[in-house]
Amino acid sequence: MFMAVLFILIATAALWDTTTMTDSDSYVFPRAIAFAMIGFSIALIVWNLLRPQPTPGTPNPDTPTRGASTARRIGLVAVMLTGTLLMPWLGFLLSGLLAFAALMVCSMYDTWTRSRTIIYSLSGIGIVIGFYTIFAKVLLVPLPTGLWFE
Amino acid sequence: MPGIEYLLEALTPLNIMLALGGVIAGTVIGSLPGLTATMAVAVLVPITFTMAPASALILMGAIYTGAIYGGAYAAILLNTPGTPSAIATTFDGFPMARRGDGDLAVTLACLASVSGGLVGSIFLLMLAPPLADVALAFGPVEYFWLAVFGLTLISALSENNLLKGLIGACFGLLLSCVGVAEISADIRFTFGSQTLLGGIETVSALIGLYCIPVLIDLVATPDKHLKVTHQARGFRFLEALAISWKYKLGLLRSSVIGTLVGILPGAGGSIAGLVAYSEARRVSKRSEHFGKGEPEGVLATESANNATVGGGFIPTLVLGIPGTPPDAVILGALLIQGLRTGPNLFTGEGSIVYTFIYGLFLATLLMLPVGLVIGRYAYKTIITVPKAMLVPTVAFMTLIGTYSIRNNISDVIVMITLGVVGWVLNRFGFSPSPIVLGLILGSIAEQGFVQAWTIGAAGEDLTGMFFGRPISLAIIAFILLSLFYPLIRKHWLGSKMGKVRAD
Repeated sequence: MFMAVLFILIATAALWDTTTMTDSDSYVFPRAIAFAMIGFSIALIVWNLLRPQPTPGTPNPDTPTRGASTARRIGLVAVMLTGTLLMPWLGFLLSGLLAFAALMVCSMYDTWTRSRTIIYSLSGIGIVIGFYTIFAKVLLVPLPTGLWFE
Repeated sequence: MPGIEYLLEALTPLNIMLALGGVIAGTVIGSLPGLTATMAVAVLVPITFTMAPASALILMGAIYTGAIYGGAYAAILLNTPGTPSAIATTFDGFPMARRGDGDLAVTLACLASVSGGLVGSIFLLMLAPPLADVALAFGPVEYFWLAVFGLTLISALSENNLLKGLIGACFGLLLSCVGVAEISADIRFTFGSQTLLGGIETVSALIGLYCIPVLIDLVATPDKHLKVTHQARGFRFLEALAISWKYKLGLLRSSVIGTLVGILPGAGGSIAGLVAYSEARRVSKRSEHFGKGEPEGVLATESANNATVGGGFIPTLVLGIPGTPPDAVILGALLIQGLRTGPNLFTGEGSIVYTFIYGLFLATLLMLPVGLVIGRYAYKTIITVPKAMLVPTVAFMTLIGTYSIRNNISDVIVMITLGVVGWVLNRFGFSPSPIVLGLILGSIAEQGFVQAWTIGAAGEDLTGMFFGRPISLAIIAFILLSLFYPLIRKHWLGSKMGKVRAD
């Protein structure tokens, strides 16, 4: 229900944006789609009202809910975003290594024994450097070098 | 068999090595989330500049075939389609992996891909020129209805909630409009942002909407990613072979559907797997098991999307119109080699074309041992690697893969943002597939719509334009069938049960 209302709002925002378009060819398709979206969302609201769900917004059964750590989830997204935003300053290699290490901490559920720490760290460094070499040196993708190496 | 005299030329040691190397490279690249078949072909094309045309074509065809097959690994083991054509493989492949049948799914994908590839190559060999005429009969309005067909199919397939699927599809279509409009160069839906001027890139949306939610849920619990209920049972080759033989007619049907849909330039590659899956589900006696890990589902989609390799080459070689994005890259490489595409290609440059087609047969056959070995290795890696290594590695691959598409940080930010959006939508029952397909098909649908609208308005026959042409009417009939067939079937089965109970 909540999502259907949200989609109606999105479609309305899209319709509002189409009023700024000058050529009729640009807005005919988005307007048709936005109206269709509003129509389907209203139909969904009506459907939900006629046939009440046992729990509103039943989550996908594949998504684990019991004992799921929200902190780690947010941590993953935060690390990925921060790592990406830091790339122009630190360069791809450095920010990649830092992000990899932070993600390892986020997803580690076993205890940090000495051998595990060494093996995981070395493998992580190997993977980051390996991919970096393939993409930057073999495939010649211009990965950011950061301010340090200019 | 046409051009049989060129079979021996395809079997030279160099060509066999190129086919083998190409299939291995393509499979590995296609399996990494973030790297697509187009990228695999594009990156390795410069190697072909100094080769003979037939050998160059064989290498590129082998890479393409391998990459399309490789997309199945990430789809089955990580619920992330490695290429857009593997979207439908996630429907049954990932549930199979979750319940411990990942090795069987990977072997089934290999067998199906080989069969599909062979059927596609046979069509290319025997029927290329007449089938190319079919592609020419599709005008803008047919492309619009075809895009609508793809979207209604995927909505109808999405977890029994048609309305949510349709809303998702509309959302995807709106996302495809972000940026500069192709038709009129107006700037749309950027809300003043410079970043969104370039639009939302398809692959970053694909990875964001599929892979990031999987990663978000992987970090949340200490549970193993995939269930492993038994010791590794080898390839489970005989088991997979038995299942494939049982569904051999379905396999053949899906391969033919894949070839024919793959002939249509642009739209073919993404929706071939969906059309074949939908058809397989419709005629199957176990249709209620589809979407929960039914092997027939994996067979249908994988055979169809490898059949598009052969099918896509038909308009590429005969008309010079690329069937799929990798075909566009290959067409470029052909032009550099000096090959003129067109109906005369088969008669004028027959030696090159027929050598290439037999080379494609060879590459497809080589995919069987290569695919089984790499698939087993991939499966073992995914189930034994600890989560603390799996999550950072996959996340890192998505970052680097998304960045490499347009060398742009914004694509990566968009990918992560869409990932969070996709995770939230997933919790409310909105599957990512309709959104992604809406994004992919959006430009095709819009171009077809606006062109048809313009022509119809100019001829003052708008209804006739949209609803008057025979091929359009056939596609509209398919759309209505896919929308209403599940409801009719439920109603029919319900009344049948009622009659039985009454008796």
